[in-house]
Amino acid sequence: MDAPVWTHQLSKRFGSLRAVDGVDLSVRSGEIYGLLGPNGSGKTTLIRLLVGLLRSTSGHAMVLGHAMPTKAVLAQVGYMTQASALYDDLTVRENVAFFAAMCGAVDRTRVEEAIALVEMDDRARSLVRTLSGGMKQRTSLACALVHRPRLLLLDEPTVGIDPQLRAVFWSYFRRLADSGVTLVISSHVMDEAERCDRLGLLRQGRLLAEGSADELRARVGASTLEEAFLYYTEL
Amino acid sequence: MNIRRVSALAQRVMRQILRDVRTVTLLIVAPMLLLSLGAVLFRSDPPRLSLGIVNEDAGVPLPSVGTLVLGDRIVRRLADSDAFDLVSLQPEEIDARLRDGTVEGVLILAADLSATFQRERQVTLDLRLEGSNPTRSTTVTARVTEAAMKALAGLAATSPDLPVAAGDAAELPVAVETSYLYAGDEFDGLDFVAPVYIAFLALFFVFLLTCVSFIRERSQGTFERLLATPATRLEIVLGYMVGLGLFALLQVAVILLFTVWVIQISYLGHLGLLFLIVALLAVVGVNLGILASAFARTEFQVVQFIPLLIIPQALLGDVFWAIEDLPAHLQPLARIMPITYANRALRAVMLKGWGLAEIWHDLAVLAGIAVLLLALGALTMRREV
Repeated sequence: MDAPVWTHQLSKRFGSLRAVDGVDLSVRSGEIYGLLGPNGSGKTTLIRLLVGLLRSTSGHAMVLGHAMPTKAVLAQVGYMTQASALYDDLTVRENVAFFAAMCGAVDRTRVEEAIALVEMDDRARSLVRTLSGGMKQRTSLACALVHRPRLLLLDEPTVGIDPQLRAVFWSYFRRLADSGVTLVISSHVMDEAERCDRLGLLRQGRLLAEGSADELRARVGASTLEEAFLYYTEL
Repeated sequence: MNIRRVSALAQRVMRQILRDVRTVTLLIVAPMLLLSLGAVLFRSDPPRLSLGIVNEDAGVPLPSVGTLVLGDRIVRRLADSDAFDLVSLQPEEIDARLRDGTVEGVLILAADLSATFQRERQVTLDLRLEGSNPTRSTTVTARVTEAAMKALAGLAATSPDLPVAAGDAAELPVAVETSYLYAGDEFDGLDFVAPVYIAFLALFFVFLLTCVSFIRERSQGTFERLLATPATRLEIVLGYMVGLGLFALLQVAVILLFTVWVIQISYLGHLGLLFLIVALLAVVGVNLGILASAFARTEFQVVQFIPLLIIPQALLGDVFWAIEDLPAHLQPLARIMPITYANRALRAVMLKGWGLAEIWHDLAVLAGIAVLLLALGALTMRREV
């Protein structure tokens, strides 16, 4: 059970809505795990359960060996959403340094490294307010990984950014995975799913299938991931 | 101008407001709440106050009544008027009784009161007041004057040989000379209001600043991100308290120095002590803001807290009425209001010149409220954004 993320029958209800419904997840160390599903399939709720922003209705979630929610483990977890969630009236560097401090990373060089990784060095002293959407998203990513987390939980990190930057983001993700970081990335875009090592297909809060894109296609004899997804949906 | 567009806009606005149940409720409930509060306060019977009497009037012989002792007549009127609990005092215990608060004022009827009246056709009453609460001072003075006039009017009706017209009460020759235990003649109306004014400003602006910063944290999504770090809720709340608290202190310093140097308010006690009181209240304001913003999602909902949390404090918190003078069912409410304790301490220091030894318990209560609000703020902080 040394999986960075492991859940057993994890469920979350909002009133009568089963947002996450009996999910068994097992993410391997150093892989990019994609949570694939349409809007409203429970991706965000699942990730919020993993990061401890929500408390599960039933079931268990283990993150880096700790039952969630556990505050201490968050020092080794990076979290990012599609909304850039930055302080508009602070500079790029101040934002990154703040979240570094929140996660207990006091080393200034880490801040510079994170800013360099997302190629924001030349705008490090700009106020976030003055940045474009894509730059904000890069800064947001820098905030999520400045404390060198072992696990990154990214909720639709590439929504609303242009294809070019999306490619750049995925090259960052791959580089991080190669250095041993585990990434859980949610998306509803099929071509992004191809870049993940393994995928979990989510629909109406249930995990329909799990495996690499090739496995998922081969298992049902589908030629595209989309086809495979539809097949699993109808099961 | 297109009427359809205007009407579509109007409908949209109405629909949005109606969806916000809280706003609609507040729109209806808040005015009723504040109106009833005002009604209860302004209609409540003025309280009975304790009045000390030093009656040394020796009297003067007068054919129509035998011996006229005007002092006795005034005291009898005062007793009849039911406005005071009268306490007979010796001259040497006047200030001590005023200081320990067992009497609100002392009416001194001099030995030559009746004689002077016969000679100069003028009654001059010597009234010594505690002086730190202008509302009470005014009440005592008015009631004493009224009793003296009634005494004279009654006398005029029965004694035709007195130089007093029985007609219009306002023309009766009664003068009340007031002196104060605390706060001398150099104090004007503003000096009495200044303590509560300062306290209210400190509380109000810091409260708003805190609420708005917290709401912004929520609306820009950074609050969720903050909760996804190892930072605990207590740490977040403390961080806010310290960060905003420093600005609150700056504001307090500006308010105090401005009132003292530019407005030139008269005050007695130590300026450092004033700073301590207002600073403590400002910290309470920060913590109250943190707590309140847990129950608000937008800046507008924060503004809605003003009629619920701030205005009642302005009405009840020892601002216009002393707690003991409030209707009984409102007193517990006033006692949980932080501004009550700040006002009391500020008045004590500014008008009476009291020191830390006399007001430490008010400061302790303020500090206690600050800690309590902080704990509640940390507990009620919503995880779900």
